[in-house]
Amino acid sequence: MIKKIKASQSEKVILLFLILLGFFVIASFVVIKDKCLFVKNHNPKKINFKNPENIAILNVPCGNVIIELYPNISPNAVIRFKTLIKSNAYDNVAFHRVIKNKLVQAGDLEFGEKNKLDYGKIGTGKSGLGTILSELDGEFKYTKGSVGLARTFKNDTEDSQFFITLQDEPLFEGEYTPVGKVIYGLQVLKKLKYLDNSEYVLRPDFINTFKMFN
Amino acid sequence: MRLFTVVLLAFVFIIPVKANTIYQLIKIPNLEIYELETQNKLKYFYASKPFRLGVQKNIVCFNSDRKILDQKYQLINKNLNRYSANFLKKINLKYIVLCENLSISEINTAGIPDNIMKTLILDVKFNENYFERVIHHEVFHVINDSYKSFFNEEEWIKFNNKNFTYAECSTCSKRLGLDTYKNTEGFLTEYSKSTASEDMAEVFSHLMLKIKKSKFDPILQKKITFIRNNILKIDNNFKF
Repeated sequence: MIKKIKASQSEKVILLFLILLGFFVIASFVVIKDKCLFVKNHNPKKINFKNPENIAILNVPCGNVIIELYPNISPNAVIRFKTLIKSNAYDNVAFHRVIKNKLVQAGDLEFGEKNKLDYGKIGTGKSGLGTILSELDGEFKYTKGSVGLARTFKNDTEDSQFFITLQDEPLFEGEYTPVGKVIYGLQVLKKLKYLDNSEYVLRPDFINTFKMFN
Repeated sequence: MRLFTVVLLAFVFIIPVKANTIYQLIKIPNLEIYELETQNKLKYFYASKPFRLGVQKNIVCFNSDRKILDQKYQLINKNLNRYSANFLKKINLKYIVLCENLSISEINTAGIPDNIMKTLILDVKFNENYFERVIHHEVFHVINDSYKSFFNEEEWIKFNNKNFTYAECSTCSKRLGLDTYKNTEGFLTEYSKSTASEDMAEVFSHLMLKIKKSKFDPILQKKITFIRNNILKIDNNFKF
């Protein structure tokens, strides 16, 4: 006959402690693993837009970034941006340059695509549509969430690469062609992968899709 | 080739992040914002630490006391406000860097213009007697660099007496005096005699400060007309 042994008070406490510890380990593993856990994902279909024809939806690993484009400020740049978005050119393209709390940059269609990523040349690629002229005369404040076209050292070299600012950047005014502003989902961009010691990201995050709302 | 790629990548990914917007824009380190909201959209920076520039790092400038900066900023801003935002855009000048004891290859200089980087570095401790004039002098170099074809040196040289020759460069001459001559004889200062472009800059800066001579000599009259006409070609609304 097997004798039943009652757990002592201290053994019960230890057991409870181990159960709680196990719970916290599993819970924290889930939280740490899922960087998107506390990020709100905005559903554009639930939002009423004033100018739906100028709304673009950038979908990245943690959700949607909803951008309003400003054709009245930079007409040619917005036409170029819309052309590339409508042709799905930005899908699966890397956020190759990410500076924590400062800006994220993507849109290298030549060397930034998921299956053709070229770390040696990323940031120098072209769209094949040619460059466009800088549009720097419109009144535009580079506040947090501003979207602009990247360029080389010289003006009038804008092509497909774009950046989104994560903080106010007044010095960008008159330097970079603006195309719009993030109206929802800036938090999503703060979760993109970055490196502490480099602006350029190894094994970067990618754009899932980039589409016009209408 | 593979090794080269690996080395290149290693190099790229170990470079520390320099998330300094000013450095990214004008490639001058150790600068901070002094003033961004100005009527003609000029952006003013100051050196928070000494900096070195150039391929040979031969351009040097030092940080200045806040009190001196504040004093000189008033003067610089007053003078540079005379240029409209439209004119500054045409000549490609946007950023003003304030620092002290500016030198190139250990030769002190009042300013260093760079129209490619849209920048003018100004020495806030330059000689008080000529400080305001020097600001316009340096602005002229930006204008000249942006509109070389308007300010044709060969045409300019023809205004001078046939037996006069300029030096090879502004620093290879001992003609450095900045006092305005009483008897001009074609030149406003001794420094005017160094090179054609310095001569033009001296004429322009004197025009900007409205230094009036009861009677300019005929050579100087021609030079003044040349500068005026070409500046008006750039911007018809320009006010001297």
